[in-house]
Amino acid sequence: MKNYIVEQLKKQIEGFQTETKLEKIGKVLEIGDGVARISGLSDAMASEMLEFSDGTVAVALNLEEDQVGAMILGDFKGIKEGDEVKSTGKILSIPVTEKMIGRVINPLGQAIDGKEEIKSDKFYPIEKIAPGVIERKSVHQPVQTGIKAIDAMIPVGRGQRELIIGDRQTGKTAIAIDTIINQKGQDMICIYVAIGQKESKISRIVAELEKNGAMDHTIVIVAGASDSAAFSFISPYSGAAIGEYFMDQGKDVLIVYDDLSKHAWAYRQISLILKRPPGREAYPGDIFYLHSRLLERSAKLDEKFGGGSITALPIIETQAGDVSAYIPTNVISITDGQIYLEADLFYKGIRPALNVGLSVSRVGSAAQIKAMKKVAGKLRLDLAQFRELEAFAQFGSDLDEKTRAQIERGKRTVEILKQDQYAPMLVENQVSIIYALINGFLDDVAVEKISQWEADFHKFMKSSKKEVLEKIATQKELNDEIVADLNKAIEEYKNTI
Amino acid sequence: MKISTKQYAEVLYDLTLGKSEAEVNIVVEKFIKELVNGNQIKSASKIIEKFEKIYNKNNGIIEASVTSAEKLDKSQMEKIEKYLLDKYKAKQVVLNNEVKPEIKGGIILRVEDEILDGSILNQLRSLKSKLI
Repeated sequence: MKNYIVEQLKKQIEGFQTETKLEKIGKVLEIGDGVARISGLSDAMASEMLEFSDGTVAVALNLEEDQVGAMILGDFKGIKEGDEVKSTGKILSIPVTEKMIGRVINPLGQAIDGKEEIKSDKFYPIEKIAPGVIERKSVHQPVQTGIKAIDAMIPVGRGQRELIIGDRQTGKTAIAIDTIINQKGQDMICIYVAIGQKESKISRIVAELEKNGAMDHTIVIVAGASDSAAFSFISPYSGAAIGEYFMDQGKDVLIVYDDLSKHAWAYRQISLILKRPPGREAYPGDIFYLHSRLLERSAKLDEKFGGGSITALPIIETQAGDVSAYIPTNVISITDGQIYLEADLFYKGIRPALNVGLSVSRVGSAAQIKAMKKVAGKLRLDLAQFRELEAFAQFGSDLDEKTRAQIERGKRTVEILKQDQYAPMLVENQVSIIYALINGFLDDVAVEKISQWEADFHKFMKSSKKEVLEKIATQKELNDEIVADLNKAIEEYKNTI
Repeated sequence: MKISTKQYAEVLYDLTLGKSEAEVNIVVEKFIKELVNGNQIKSASKIIEKFEKIYNKNNGIIEASVTSAEKLDKSQMEKIEKYLLDKYKAKQVVLNNEVKPEIKGGIILRVEDEILDGSILNQLRSLKSKLI
């Protein structure tokens, strides 16, 4: 054994050839808060990786006449003025591999969940130009979020960018997590990017994902609140790079950026330290491009280019419901629609606290299955009428029969659209309950008893009318035969109570 | 508009180009006065540094340093100088010899921000990264 090792070592060393090549070096002029100014490095490229003498990596951001402004990735305490910096000739890239699925990693692709190291010989650049017009196809397949209100009224398609916006504590992350959980068995790889989040929140989310068996198709990228701003800044791009790796193989990917307000803060910090001129709210001039180039990388590719997709669910936190602040308006204009959550609704007990009037999806309805399209149109109408009449609801007795019926239907609709956290619902179940609702089967059920009625209904359908659900799931439409079956099933259920 | 140190250095070079020593003295004196008036005397050292660079560049002079584990003898220094003259098409090379025992052997050549690392230490490092 000893001889074998020695032989192997000899062989390795014999084949070893050193080559001395010309390298460019610079000197650290100034260092502060994660940003270094470096003299020399006359050939440095934009976003090239630079290496300090202690092995720390930095990224060149500002290329000036005789110095380079660089953002340091990782710990910068060991770097001092006068240290040598080498340019590597490589654009910042991260390793990508299937082994990342089920893991928690940092934005540089290193494992931080205490399990084995992730190794890969494939690298993807962090910044990449988004797919062009030729490579794209219009969005046509649904992403089932498992949330009735969203799947019915604000549908999200594969390749779409749907913003989740709302105040703190209104359930933004909950919607994203529910969506990830619902992707189980739907052929979708999910990437959750935590940007500047509390580590406690991240560990809670990872635990919840594990409990619901969702980690098997999920990658969690963490730039915690105590990590440097540089990590927060690059983490969404890392997520997009990993997503592109899977998209290039023709797979479907869902990325949640939680949240882009903190991403903008991190970039503002770096820009200000780099002495770039501040603009509105002290954000730098390219803050719009920062988000647009990131979100533009979500796409549905044409079959000729593999047919993969990246769906993005960016999250934005507003202050006191102010959607007209700088960053929210920017991101609203970039995305293909928004899911708007309201604190008032949340406290009224309507959860998810979706404001149906302000939430839109600009492409999603093309991606709904036919059955859902059929029932969702009526649902939207019922709800819109209800909202108009809601103000009169308190004069209950003075209203004519028709108006009262509409108000009663509206109340039941609101009740049906409520849904618990971590309880995503299959699309066939959603279709059947909404069908029951819009066809008046619930009109004689008391509002307080609706949720119980619904829960029992799903149980009944699952145990004794499974074939109807299966028909909806496979045929994806509501033809006369299925409608008749559904009517019969609902009548039967009503007779049991 | 603010005048950069590089612009000052370039002006100084243009003014002194082809002048005799006596003329240069007058130019430099006036230049210093201008610096004081412009409140730029604090950046004098930077201007000098830049001026040296501009002067060297225009006259084909390169400053280089060679790091070795032991002090290099004259014939070795001459060889290196000749190599640099060829490589950079320079007229004159100002070569410094730095002695650093920790590089163990070989030499490290450095010209401005370029470095050619042929030390044993560097080779050992790359061997290490290959083996692990």
